[in-house]
Amino acid sequence: MTCPRCQEAEASSERCPRCGVVVATYLAALEKMRRTPAPRPSAPAAPLVPAAASGGVYALSFHGHAGTLFGIQIVNMLRALLTLGGYYFWGKARVRSYVFGQTALEGDRFAYHGTGGELARGFARAMAFFILPVIALNLLPRLLGAGPLLERSAQLLGYVVVSVFMPIAAVGAHRYRLSRTSWRGIRFSFRGRTRDFVKLFIGGSMLTTLTLGLYYPVFDTRRRAFMVAHAHFGNRPFGFDGNGRQLLLPFVVAVLLTVPTLGLGWFWYVARKRRYFWEHTTFDRARFRSTVTGRLLLNLVGGNVLLLMVTLGLGWPWVLVRNARFACDTVRLAGALDLAGVVQAPQSEAATGDALSTFLGMDVGIA
Amino acid sequence: MATVFAAHYLDGQTPVRRRASVRVAATGLEIAVEGGATLWWPLGAIRQTQGIYAGEQIRLERGGAMPETLLVDDPALLVTLRGIGAAGRRFRGPRRPSLRVLVTALAALAVVAVGGALHVWGIPAASSVVASILPVSWEDRIGRAAVAQLAPSERRCLDPALQATVDAIVARLVVRAPDTYRIRVTIVDHPAVNAFAAPGGHIVVLRGLLERTRTPEELAGVLAHEIQHVYHRHPTRLVVQHTSAGLLAAAVAGDVSALMAYSLEAARILGTLRYSRQYEAEADAAGLRMLATARVDPRGLSSFLGQLVPAEKGAPPTLAYFASHPATAERITTLQRLAAEVRDTPTPIVTSRDWKDIARLCGA
Repeated sequence: MTCPRCQEAEASSERCPRCGVVVATYLAALEKMRRTPAPRPSAPAAPLVPAAASGGVYALSFHGHAGTLFGIQIVNMLRALLTLGGYYFWGKARVRSYVFGQTALEGDRFAYHGTGGELARGFARAMAFFILPVIALNLLPRLLGAGPLLERSAQLLGYVVVSVFMPIAAVGAHRYRLSRTSWRGIRFSFRGRTRDFVKLFIGGSMLTTLTLGLYYPVFDTRRRAFMVAHAHFGNRPFGFDGNGRQLLLPFVVAVLLTVPTLGLGWFWYVARKRRYFWEHTTFDRARFRSTVTGRLLLNLVGGNVLLLMVTLGLGWPWVLVRNARFACDTVRLAGALDLAGVVQAPQSEAATGDALSTFLGMDVGIA
Repeated sequence: MATVFAAHYLDGQTPVRRRASVRVAATGLEIAVEGGATLWWPLGAIRQTQGIYAGEQIRLERGGAMPETLLVDDPALLVTLRGIGAAGRRFRGPRRPSLRVLVTALAALAVVAVGGALHVWGIPAASSVVASILPVSWEDRIGRAAVAQLAPSERRCLDPALQATVDAIVARLVVRAPDTYRIRVTIVDHPAVNAFAAPGGHIVVLRGLLERTRTPEELAGVLAHEIQHVYHRHPTRLVVQHTSAGLLAAAVAGDVSALMAYSLEAARILGTLRYSRQYEAEADAAGLRMLATARVDPRGLSSFLGQLVPAEKGAPPTLAYFASHPATAERITTLQRLAAEVRDTPTPIVTSRDWKDIARLCGA
């Protein structure tokens, strides 16, 4: 029979070989959705499918406790020590799973589906194809006694490899993390092509250099636009309609005020940028809103730095919880949100980009 | 014990969340979905992905990549599941708060204990194995890179008379030593009283130390000590040890981006590292034997250290050599005892000019 979702002709009665949908369940769900909206008496935390036309404000919330996270972290550290670091990946998956599971949209928790094994395999691939070659390029010429010319060229090649891998890593990490995140059982996904982002990244970097940094806010916005506009919830895409021009003036002001404000002026720019990014992000007919301000951001970061300093780094779980609460408290989704018609879209992504981005110190945050 | 629980059911294909009621049976869960069919989940096919931490919703999944999901708020479900026998025992609920605190505290203690054991025994033992299998040519390159960093060419003392004198002392010391390493001494124009060995036979002596020596025998004592560090591969072990400790710390703390930095910075941190007391004692004893074999007065090193001792309390920062060699008084006593056991009569080191003049050639 033909698959009702992707129109694959070879679909058996059970499961479609191409998109993986369970045909019977899918048809039943479609049928049910056609019958909705049925009146639902006293929905517990959130409506099953928010009424399409009415519009509303949908809040994020974080329910995690730093004490629990601290316990997880300590046990992770112990296991990592006992395995000479090998447990690291499983520990990381455990922390992510806890943090995602404590984050909710309209009372429904997110879920993280990544595993330590995936992260370890991603690490191994990143090690083989990127990290070892870069280390070798830096160290081998010296260890083998090659001349200074060869040493310099090898180092230069190392820099080129790193800069080409940066956008690849960013896309890879974003793709992997979204594919392992779900809400109400529906996975997120990223469908942007890596080479398009590499082009955008290299072009943007060059333009930023040529314009002495002036192009940076636009470049920053275009990267965000790429990441958001190719993200999907199930089969439905997110949207992004900003071009970054409105950030130009705040950016110039932040640059000019760097010295007089001892750099603190940048908090206001970053807050402005975050608001701009969220306010240009849409899903369906709903639009995100952000209430982050420079002062709030300064308080958050100042508190975090103080916390980490006083506890010699052990306060990290409290910092993580503060950040998560802050991110959830300052972001809302407002407007008409119609989830009818959203269906699962299958995917399988490797964690190589995730490992790479961690190496390059460029973790992609959603806030 | 309750066997029926309120739940929500997600089919894994649409974001529609349906109310359901779950009945726990001996071999599985019977799920009655509101307005839908009744489902049967055998216990063996169910995964628990959430609900082991306090305040977490219980999340049970069934199926492959796009699983069906059951969400239950009441933690009593897990208690019921665990009560039905072996098949239910793999479902875990949150620990009691008191037990959780106890487990965290015990884990923290264990982290300190295991971390300490690895630091004190595990990593040094592993480093010594790695250092012993590293080819000498690699050690030489690492050492050369370290010297290039720590003794940039514009700060080196290139006075030929001074270099020739130092080289002659080294040649006399190593005459009966195995030729695994070629010892090269670099003198740097820096006021600190310090000298250190880099892997592969590279030794750096700072002007401050040279000027503090009163006789060529004192310098020979210091050089013999540093040469023995090289022969015992102490600097190589230290680099490996520092790197692996850093890697482990990075892996445990979760800072993977530091891994690469550690790998690349390995050779650059020499000179800021401290040898253990055992390494110092080893280099002292072997250095003294080297002096005796070369018929150089073995009291040189102890006499040099002795003149620094009064400065031990409140030592100025320039006396870095001193600071990196702990328990100096104890070492002097041991060195003096060992020197007294040497039977051969020493032959003085003859230099072309007065030693004071030679030692000051660097800053001139």
